Amino acid sequence: MKKLSLAVALGLALASQYSQAEVRVNGFASVVGGMTLDENTNLFGYENELEFKNESMFALQVSADLQERLSATAQIVARGNNDFDAEFEWAYLTYEISDNAQFSAGRMRIPFYRYSDFLDVGYAYRWVRPPQSVYNLSFSTYEGVNFVYNNMIGDWDSTLQIIGGSYSGDIVVGGTTTEDSQLNDMLGINWTLGYDWFSARAAYIIGEVSIGQYDSSRDLRVVGGVGGQVDQLNLALAAAGFANEGSKLLIDSDDGSFFGIGFSIDYENILFDAEYTAFEVENTLLPEQEQYYASLGYRHNEFTWHVTYEHDEDEHPDARFNTIPETPAALLPLRLTLNAVLASRRLERETLTFGMRYDFHPAAAFKVDWSMQDDNVTNTDAEVLAFGVDLVF
Amino acid sequence: MRAFLTAAVFAFSMPAFAEVSVIVNSGNADALDKGTISKIYLGKSKSFPSGAKIEPVNLSDGGTLDEFNQKVLSKSSSQVNAYWSKLVFTGKGTPPKKMGSDAEVIAFVKSNPNAIGYVASGSVTGDVKVVATF
Repeated sequence: MKKLSLAVALGLALASQYSQAEVRVNGFASVVGGMTLDENTNLFGYENELEFKNESMFALQVSADLQERLSATAQIVARGNNDFDAEFEWAYLTYEISDNAQFSAGRMRIPFYRYSDFLDVGYAYRWVRPPQSVYNLSFSTYEGVNFVYNNMIGDWDSTLQIIGGSYSGDIVVGGTTTEDSQLNDMLGINWTLGYDWFSARAAYIIGEVSIGQYDSSRDLRVVGGVGGQVDQLNLALAAAGFANEGSKLLIDSDDGSFFGIGFSIDYENILFDAEYTAFEVENTLLPEQEQYYASLGYRHNEFTWHVTYEHDEDEHPDARFNTIPETPAALLPLRLTLNAVLASRRLERETLTFGMRYDFHPAAAFKVDWSMQDDNVTNTDAEVLAFGVDLVF
Repeated sequence: MRAFLTAAVFAFSMPAFAEVSVIVNSGNADALDKGTISKIYLGKSKSFPSGAKIEPVNLSDGGTLDEFNQKVLSKSSSQVNAYWSKLVFTGKGTPPKKMGSDAEVIAFVKSNPNAIGYVASGSVTGDVKVVATF
């Protein structure tokens, strides 16, 4: 229904002005093949068998200039990992308040990261995919408003963006299971400063997060599903008089915060990017998360060679453990189970990527990336080789 | 020896550079330097110093486009495309319109008081005003 109503709204916006509107169609596409290099390993959605669906995608953007500083934009994206079903990822109206300020409303991308806005436009960056340790939040769009202000501060280009809105839909929890989720009362600000070959960016976003199956009898969301392991532990804790500890497992209208900072350099033939991000949803099953990457690239004619190191770590703080007393003995299993569930959310991974981008055409690039990820908790590793073509038109 | 060879190969592989002229409507009195032209073509300046809304035009492809990108914007045409793809697909900007030939650019600039374009210097006619050459 949502998809349809967006389409209708945009259609109306276009139709009412069709005689004057200047409509532009742009697009971008990626065709990527890849596989893990060892049996029984998986990484970035790949398994040990060559396939071309996982990271391939095709997108069309239609923008209509409705005159009087108003424009409408929609992006329709078909992803291989979603069977190439076309969906409206973005659909928004923009009003240019002045040459420096614009206001947009509709469905847009949440500006978590430096590359968030053009995450899917592979042509715009050097990797096959942006560093996944950092670029790991699976809610990527929201419905709401967006204000952007550009100006010069001395010789520096400054871009200030303020967003507000909400998200509801699927979210991937723990890298595998998909659950219903809601992100409400979201507010964010980010600021980018650039000078010729240098730019720096900081972002801060807060919101109220709910993840899991909605249980109408209790009016709350249950991560892992009603009656699942987390729910059972929650109920057992409540029955033993520790309702507060139990509720700290659920992710139901809890305060989430995201902080990101990064900089990039594009100096002659040298490219360098680094970003650090931290994310938490207080007093929930979700651990505190910290990630960063640093990436160096060297451009030589049509070729760009690059190496990237990434690190991500998720952990619950010590204060969350041992909250249930050891005695009486009847409480011991609860104490141990709660500790184990919290400990199971721990994650520490390092990823190393070597890659090459070849600009063989003014509007298309061929890329090859080899990545190795070490999981320091399970002591396992996986390697992925991926190659493909990104284009814009 | 190796340095010499590299230099020699580089010298012989250099294409013959054609001079690029940046042109505006003959009624346009604004003085434009390289920095200003670069800002206009990267979408950072939208109005002339006189306050009028700029209408920049690009060539759709070819040597003059590459030359202009390299000399004025200090970027390869691929880098310029990557730069604009970041703005286009985020609704933050629209690249200059593309025109197929020097003659079309000249005709557009001639008939639009706020237009700016560039052509190979050899194509310039008396219908437009040259503000800079590179």
